[in-house]
Amino acid sequence: MLEITSTPLVIIGILGTVGILLPIISIARKEQGSNTFYAIIAFAALIVSMGYVGYQFLEENVSPSALFAEDVVVDDAFGGFFAIAMLIVALFTTVGSFNYMRKHNSPAVYYSLILLATIGMVLVAYSTDLVMLFVAWELMSIPTYILVGFRKKNPSSNEAALKYFLFGALSSAIIVYGISLAYGLTGSTNIGEVIQGYSTLDPSMLPLALLSVGLFIAGFGFKMGLVPFHQWLPDTYEGAPAPITALLAAATKKAGFAATIRIVILGMVVLHLDWTLALGIIAVMTMTIGNIAAIMQKNISRMLAYSSIAHAGYILIGLAVAPHSSLGLQGSLYQIMNHAVMKGAAFIAIAGIVTTLAVTHIDKLKGLGRRMPVTALGLVIALFALAGVPPLSGFWSKLMLFGSALDAGTALWWAPWLAIAGVLNSALSLAYYGWLTRKMYFEGETEKRVIEPKSVMAIMIISTIFLVGFGVYPEPLIKFVELATPVLSLGSMP
Amino acid sequence: MADAVFLALTVITIGSAIAALEMRSLIYGSIALMGTLGGIAGFFFLLDAPFVALFQLAVYVGSIAVLILFTVMLVKRELIFKKIEDRKRKFAGIGLMLVVMVSLGAVFLDSGIKTITTDEPAVDFRDIGTDFVTYYWPALILMGLILAGSVTGALVLARREDVENDQRVS
Repeated sequence: MLEITSTPLVIIGILGTVGILLPIISIARKEQGSNTFYAIIAFAALIVSMGYVGYQFLEENVSPSALFAEDVVVDDAFGGFFAIAMLIVALFTTVGSFNYMRKHNSPAVYYSLILLATIGMVLVAYSTDLVMLFVAWELMSIPTYILVGFRKKNPSSNEAALKYFLFGALSSAIIVYGISLAYGLTGSTNIGEVIQGYSTLDPSMLPLALLSVGLFIAGFGFKMGLVPFHQWLPDTYEGAPAPITALLAAATKKAGFAATIRIVILGMVVLHLDWTLALGIIAVMTMTIGNIAAIMQKNISRMLAYSSIAHAGYILIGLAVAPHSSLGLQGSLYQIMNHAVMKGAAFIAIAGIVTTLAVTHIDKLKGLGRRMPVTALGLVIALFALAGVPPLSGFWSKLMLFGSALDAGTALWWAPWLAIAGVLNSALSLAYYGWLTRKMYFEGETEKRVIEPKSVMAIMIISTIFLVGFGVYPEPLIKFVELATPVLSLGSMP
Repeated sequence: MADAVFLALTVITIGSAIAALEMRSLIYGSIALMGTLGGIAGFFFLLDAPFVALFQLAVYVGSIAVLILFTVMLVKRELIFKKIEDRKRKFAGIGLMLVVMVSLGAVFLDSGIKTITTDEPAVDFRDIGTDFVTYYWPALILMGLILAGSVTGALVLARREDVENDQRVS
């Protein structure tokens, strides 16, 4: 029985109430310009939600990572882990928008949509029912379609919104098709019952079960930005308002991974499907295409968009080898948490640069280290953490991911090649991160310091503390990852 | 009989969908969309789900399609974007669609789905309602939030920024 004090319901209550009230308050106050007021309310709602998730963990009110439950949501450590990652990014986005939204209208609706999208993302991670998962998926998607097109008079924002909407609608349709097949085959929408139904399915129906799993991979793959479902991503990230890009790259992507782990990976284990090689190939293609395309970019938003595609490939390594190595899922979850902070910080730094200097072309970032020293330093640390440079936190998650591929080598002869591909791709990524760093610190001489947005500086400091702190002392984060990692076996079923 | 009705509905639904996409006139396109939505209602009737079918007719054909029609009539024609033809992309898209449809059809035909028979009664709409307020109640709340977000977002996107607030009131 679902407790009214369970974390997902409380998050719906807090963020949903504030999300609905913000536009109503805006109408009541008959003012459009009070950006800070709405930003502070949204920030407070997110902090309270985050505090409640943390409190539930500390009070041990959270069940171990269950993956299945009798209700449509479960208050487990897996969902809590993703909730924390997504709430961090939502906080970054809200704080990073303080300055950005000063020049734009309708701040109340803007922050309201961020809160509603956050509920959707968090609830995707907590969902244990396909209908609930789909509704949460839509709650995550629809507000972000609007947020991407928020700069109405900007053609690139319009193009980004249209592309994102069309690909998003297609991915939703594919997911619904997968859900309808799963329901038709098993007579239930509860993920536990669906997977139990799959395990006792008549052999003649297996192609349909296989098709439903394939449709889920394709549907979630769009949001995760896996190759070949990634075409929308660079244009959308480039055209969207800069803080919203952080939300898309660092949070909605993670919802895709949460849904994949809940359904696809478990479905594969139960159906005894050997899709590890297929996922491994997609992982290598995604990493390589993402990194090669990133090297060729002249616009920093597009460069980080392709880097984001590459990172989906790294995370997929862990999922590909998960049935054969316990480190696989742990590595993926570890990388998901780190990526949320690293990519969130990097895109908020870009938001600060866009707001202050109005440039995104890499050549125009010469001397950024002198002009915006705190933002530039935070960005460089995030970039090096993305590359996996020790002793930053990104190093440990990549080490765990590549270690899982080597660990699975006893069962899968090709698995160590994933680790080799991952290391080579990390080296490749260091080339363009290094090039960007050189532009910021070793080129240009006449630039003078400008006033940096305080909100962006605050995020840079917090992300740097996270990345360096958990890089030097990673044990607490590793323990949290272990707690949140579900066990991939039929024994975990209700 | 059911097969013939199914085929007829399929032709109506897919044909109208293609027409809705291809028509240069937005008015005719909207009317074609009504055909697609009506065809889907026919499928629901065929699947012994009259409650859902009537909702499909009332909500989609009756209000949403009519709303789209009115919106199209109210919008200035010169504001609608121009259609840019790219024949290569068009044929690539049609080719990809055919590949996907043939592949999906092959999977269905290869499975044992044709052997399935069921004598279970159709789901009562009261059961659907009960499920929504019991098992699915958190999903129902999320649906409300989706609607709220969609409406406020649509209002912001549709709002004309060249009109001042006092002008709007007057």
